[in-house]
Amino acid sequence: MIVAAWICLSSPLAAALAIALAGSRISRRGAGYLATASVFASFVAACVAFFALWGDAPHDRSHYSTVWTWLELGSFSAGLRILVDPLSTMMMLIVSGVGALIVGYSVGYMDGDDEERRYFAYMAIFVFSMLLLVQSGNLLLLLAGWGLVGLSSYLLIGFWQERPSAIAAAKKAFVMNAFGDATFALALFLLIQHTRSLDFDTVFARAPGLSSNHWLVNLVALGLLGGAVAKSAQLPLQTWLPDAMEGPTPVSALIHAATMVTAGVYLIVRTHPLFELAPKVEDLAAGLGAATLLLAGLIALVQTDIKRVIAYSTMSQIGYMFLGAGLGAYANGMFHLMTHAFFKALLFMAAGLVIHALAGEQDIRKMGGLRGLLPRTYWAFLVGALALVGLPPFAGFFSKDSILAAAMHDGWYGYLLWVGGLAGTFLTGLYTFRMLFVVFGGEPSPFVREHLIRPRRRGEAHHGEGPFSMTSTVAILAVLSLIGGWIQFAPLWIPVTHWLDVVAPTLPHAEATSWQEGISSALAVGLGLAGLVAAWLVYSRRRVAVPRLPFAQRALEHKFYFDEAYDLVFYRPGVATARLFGRIVEGLVVGGSIVGLGRGVGDAARGVARAQTGLLRTYALAIAGSLAVLVVVFISVR
Amino acid sequence: MAVLAFSAGNVLVWIVWLAAAFACLGSGVAVISFTNPFFSALALIGNLGALAVLYLLLSAEFVAAAQVLVYAGAVMVMFLFVIAYLGGRADAPWAGGPSWQQIGAVGAAGTLLVEIVVAVGLKAGGRLSHEQDIHRSFGSPRAIGRLFLTDHLLAFEITSIVLLVAAIGGVILGAHTRKLAGEKTQ
Amino acid sequence: MTLGILGPEVSWYLAVAAFLFATGALGVLLRRSPLIVLLSLEIMLNGANLALIAFARHNGSGAGQIFALAVMAVAASEVVVGLGLIVAISRRHLDLDVDKLRTLRG
Repeated sequence: MIVAAWICLSSPLAAALAIALAGSRISRRGAGYLATASVFASFVAACVAFFALWGDAPHDRSHYSTVWTWLELGSFSAGLRILVDPLSTMMMLIVSGVGALIVGYSVGYMDGDDEERRYFAYMAIFVFSMLLLVQSGNLLLLLAGWGLVGLSSYLLIGFWQERPSAIAAAKKAFVMNAFGDATFALALFLLIQHTRSLDFDTVFARAPGLSSNHWLVNLVALGLLGGAVAKSAQLPLQTWLPDAMEGPTPVSALIHAATMVTAGVYLIVRTHPLFELAPKVEDLAAGLGAATLLLAGLIALVQTDIKRVIAYSTMSQIGYMFLGAGLGAYANGMFHLMTHAFFKALLFMAAGLVIHALAGEQDIRKMGGLRGLLPRTYWAFLVGALALVGLPPFAGFFSKDSILAAAMHDGWYGYLLWVGGLAGTFLTGLYTFRMLFVVFGGEPSPFVREHLIRPRRRGEAHHGEGPFSMTSTVAILAVLSLIGGWIQFAPLWIPVTHWLDVVAPTLPHAEATSWQEGISSALAVGLGLAGLVAAWLVYSRRRVAVPRLPFAQRALEHKFYFDEAYDLVFYRPGVATARLFGRIVEGLVVGGSIVGLGRGVGDAARGVARAQTGLLRTYALAIAGSLAVLVVVFISVR
Repeated sequence: MAVLAFSAGNVLVWIVWLAAAFACLGSGVAVISFTNPFFSALALIGNLGALAVLYLLLSAEFVAAAQVLVYAGAVMVMFLFVIAYLGGRADAPWAGGPSWQQIGAVGAAGTLLVEIVVAVGLKAGGRLSHEQDIHRSFGSPRAIGRLFLTDHLLAFEITSIVLLVAAIGGVILGAHTRKLAGEKTQ
Repeated sequence: MTLGILGPEVSWYLAVAAFLFATGALGVLLRRSPLIVLLSLEIMLNGANLALIAFARHNGSGAGQIFALAVMAVAASEVVVGLGLIVAISRRHLDLDVDKLRTLRG
């Protein structure tokens, strides 16, 4: 089992190294197949580890394996240590499974790109980093994986280097993530200082001893939350995620939907003992999640880029996961993470099929009537949309409602969150089906008629909607989005919660009763349907016009002016300070002193050189004059 | 100050001394004042002669003889040869207004004079009145020769080397000049 | 037999020597023709010589006279080299004016 875990971890790394070292000796297709095979091998190894763990008794499901002690400072030591336990195997399966599907999809999507090898190497590095993050047995290695996924995200967002917008988006993502990394690291410093360790078991054992020091536990939890918020693109660090859509669609699917952005949720669930010591911070996490899900849902209503709608949807759904984790319903949050990975990746990949068919066009206003032209893509998209809105029997229904039910227990604050979550389901229905109806409904638009590419290949079994690699993986994900939720039906049948009980037991006040579950589910489904109907009326039947609220419209289009605010508060002062330093410190002090030094030496030398007149009489006068002075000196001294 | 001892022999010595001293100083001023270098060289010969007289009064017979024979007889003749060869170009020493150089020169020279007097007077003032009594052979060629070959042999040898170097230098300077590329005349 | 000095004391000779030295210095610093400068140098050297001889007489030691002879030899050598330089300069048709000979200007 441990061996399987190590194989799972190192397989994508080996592939990345192989692709990097092979250079142009490996074909582009070959690099793609190699990357896909390595991630698939990871998945197989993860399955082996999972089943082996399942065979263990429940209380015995925590296996550490240390390969190398990296750092030893007195009583503090940290090493290359992985952990195989229910939570990590769940994440391993999700990451490697969905990752294998998406990397396989990219073989078709990125076919023909000049830099395919670089792409697949980056994807392999990303999968490795994410696996490192979820498999790490101490917080230090988790931080290492955290940083590496940030790096991979930067490399992949800015993959098409010729596009300035892509480069800018990559930088933005990296910088905002760096802020989270900094708060994370500060929390780790505090932990090292007070618990003398970063290993999970040791820290969590010693943590309750610190509960009396309120400042400390709150700061640690805040630091961890800061990292989670940055990585998961929650309020207030959410502005990088929509811009990250500049990367290729499979990148958006893997990194910014299924895995990396969910790392924040994983962190909260993993370090939940620390969060439980700081209940105010947990409440803050839940509140941020609720606020984000509403904010993102509203903004998604006015987006015109197909990928950005889905990106805001991701932001919103992660808000649900934060809500769940913040309330203490860890298993629910993780379950929603899993189902969300399925249907969000599906939505992105289906959107990728659409973009691929329209030769790169992403503006939904130009699309229309694709239902007849790309039928299978339409069905995949529909499945994903229904799962997202949370209608039974699709996957999202089972996971989302239990989170909402958990909120009902928590006093007035919990009810507030509950209402917010419900409002979010209405918005989800509205924006998701807006997108569906606009893109697929109605008559084909002039643009579509001109540009639709329908390659007719011999023996193509899927009506030429895309190469086999793309369509097959989408189909698999569609099936998963349908049946993936059937693994847990709270409150009747909760294997997921039981599985995670050892690691992250749901807090008592987050356990919902069955009538609460029932009410939440009914309301959520109802509101989701209401959103669907509203979208149908507005965008499909066009019976109702889009309400004209220019102020709201402008605010939403500007994404509530977050970008402008950050620009004003952080970017402009930063740039002004840098320019000031450049001018004064660098220009005047450093440059000026060096240049001034040189010039000064030159001027001094020139001044001294004026004594070299070349005239004999001047020299003779100088000698006579100095002689006169010296005689006086000698007389007076002796 | 000096005690003037008037006796018959002394008066004569005094008169000779005064004449020689004034000749010395006058010719010295003449050397630096004449515009024509030829006349300056002649004045210098006169200076050398007056100095020889003064040396004789100081019982330095050999040096006086060497002065006249070598200095006046060889060196100055060489000078006169060169001046004749060059055609005696002249310059007016006090041409134009007094420049900084000239003011500085006069100042430096005057300061030096004053300082020398002051220095010598301060350091050796009292003791200058009492000269040693000397033997008859003081300053004779015999005494000089003995000193050169015993106490001051090193000075003797080094002087000869200096003369050798000067001779070589003179030969080199006087050799036919090779035309150098890019020579510029000022 | 030993003799005392006849005539003025040594200090008078020293005064003459000082004047000669100053006069020579003035000539070196004032004149522009290198020939005159060399001649003024000779005067300075002679002034020094006179002082040496005077002190030799005062101390009764012959070292001063030896030194004076050495100075004379050095003066002769210096004149050789100096005149050689002047002749070389004039052969290159340069002005014999120390103010114009300034290619060594820094």
